[in-house]
Amino acid sequence: MLKTLNRKIAVLLWCIAILYLFFAYRLPSYAYVPIDSNALPIILGILLLVLSTILFFEKGDVENDKLNINKTDLLKLLGVFLLIVLYASFLESLGFLIVSTFFIFFCSYLLGYRKHVINAVIAILVPLTFYLLFTSALQIRLPQGVMPF
Amino acid sequence: MGGLEGLLSGFQVAFSVEGIIFVFIGVLAGTFIGMLPGLGPISAIAVMIPISYGFDPTIALVMMAGVYYGAVFGGSTSSILLNAPGISGTVATAFDGHPLAKQGKAGKALAIAAISSFIGGTVGIVLLMLFAPMLASVAIAFGPPEYFALMLVALTAIASLSEGSLVKAFISGVIGFMFATVGIDAQTGTPRFTFGMTNLLSGIEFLVIALGLFALAEICFLIINSFKEKNNIHQNIGSLKLTKSDLKEMKGPATRQSFLGFIIGVLPGAGATIASFIGYIVEKKLSKRPEQFGKGSIKGLTAPETANNAATSGAFVPLLSLGIPGSGTTAVLLGALLVLGVQPGPLLFEDEPTLFWGVIASMYIGNVFLLILNLPLIPYISKLLLIPRPLLISLVITFCMLGVYAISFNTFDIYLLLIFGVIGFLMRLARFPAPPFILSFILGGMMEQSLRQSLTISEGGLGIFLESPIAMALFIVALLSIVIPAFKKKTIT
Repeated sequence: MLKTLNRKIAVLLWCIAILYLFFAYRLPSYAYVPIDSNALPIILGILLLVLSTILFFEKGDVENDKLNINKTDLLKLLGVFLLIVLYASFLESLGFLIVSTFFIFFCSYLLGYRKHVINAVIAILVPLTFYLLFTSALQIRLPQGVMPF
Repeated sequence: MGGLEGLLSGFQVAFSVEGIIFVFIGVLAGTFIGMLPGLGPISAIAVMIPISYGFDPTIALVMMAGVYYGAVFGGSTSSILLNAPGISGTVATAFDGHPLAKQGKAGKALAIAAISSFIGGTVGIVLLMLFAPMLASVAIAFGPPEYFALMLVALTAIASLSEGSLVKAFISGVIGFMFATVGIDAQTGTPRFTFGMTNLLSGIEFLVIALGLFALAEICFLIINSFKEKNNIHQNIGSLKLTKSDLKEMKGPATRQSFLGFIIGVLPGAGATIASFIGYIVEKKLSKRPEQFGKGSIKGLTAPETANNAATSGAFVPLLSLGIPGSGTTAVLLGALLVLGVQPGPLLFEDEPTLFWGVIASMYIGNVFLLILNLPLIPYISKLLLIPRPLLISLVITFCMLGVYAISFNTFDIYLLLIFGVIGFLMRLARFPAPPFILSFILGGMMEQSLRQSLTISEGGLGIFLESPIAMALFIVALLSIVIPAFKKKTIT
């Protein structure tokens, strides 16, 4: 039954629509409001149900049915995602400069860049430029963290 | 302020030192970003928003407009040099542009593209100048019912925004709309879909979605694909000079497509991409030597380049005069305006004439910049494509995270950025178009508001929509814009 990619996606969307409708119905309703806060969400949930049903029965093209990502690329991608999570987790405690320098260096390294000196110079200079641009020119304060400036 | 007076004050802004510098920065950055295969004008504008935070809105918008048409121009450069269109609006450019480059006439092809873009863009701006105020003066009488109907038209444009499956485009739109319902409901104060998270109470920031769904998702694709393909940029682009006969050949398509492209650009949903394809097809049909198309025909290159730039100007008409975006790109521009505290719409023309005309005037200057500065710089700018991809990718990601953080000073938004990046990436893998998502995310909130305002005025009666002839006419247009593409796709398949 779940042979094509479209069908798998349709089932996933069905689940999302049902969850969304469940939470939409649980929104409190008020008297004297001609159209309540849950009205539109309910319409949207039903629309998604209907559309994913149509998708379920739609013919999928052959190309569409193949999701070809090789393992190394997938690992690289997951590595980048992990680096983004680490960036967000330490941005405020360590400061913009340190976190960005580490991010640029390791992200480039992870993606296969092996000229370490150039990498390090760029990883230091670019965040420094952004930092000065934001804090001095645009008057937007970025997290200072453990740095003295 | 009258039209001419307004335009003069607009030129004053655009010709100020600040104005010129930022048009130039915008055009240059747009050209570069648009040139990178995968990164289109939506990403270009989204990436530039953080830079404009502290700016005067007029200057910021002047820069964004520069980024927009710079990206369209940059897209054509990579179409010609690499046969890898930077954006979908320049796919048709590659048909004849790349064969010319292969014949060693890359310089000529770039010059034709730049001049056609200039003509299309400039004619488009003149038409924009004429029509936007006219439309704004009509739209000033619009109440909530008319606005609701108008937004419905813009939303149904999703049908024409979709390049593949219509159902997928609508699903993408509905999901975008669902994300617009997150946060405190303005009318009743009920928190919706926040799951107890205070960070979600004010809703999801548009920039998070724009950067995630476009820039980050595109980066994910670059990570997967970029290392396989080797860049073989034509280092020697040859002479940029055009002969008299070249110019003569360009005359016809440039004139026709300036107008046709503009009209297509004004229509919601049909942007630069559709304009460029229609332009190409029309010129091929009109040509006495259609067999030359696809083999390096000058007409075949002029047509899509003129049309896509004229459409770019055309797309500003509904954005500036009605406050309604008709495409993914203008939706992001609208979001950028809202971030800057500007509410586009018919009142913009009355309340902030300097901004309204400043943008239009800056577009003239931007087009001139594209022609006289970018053209000779192209060989050098294209060298930027040689920056190692891993470095480029990490810099772009850092920039996205910085942009998202600087808008809310909350690291929660960086996690959200990642989530939307993954959603955008998966959508692309499964061939769900992303522009309908962002369009309905932006329009969704506004649409719900106008629907509820209308029904509050009428105390719940739906008659309010039937009483307004404008709203009724717009409903019919909305209905047709769903039915016609669906019917067409049926008859094709």
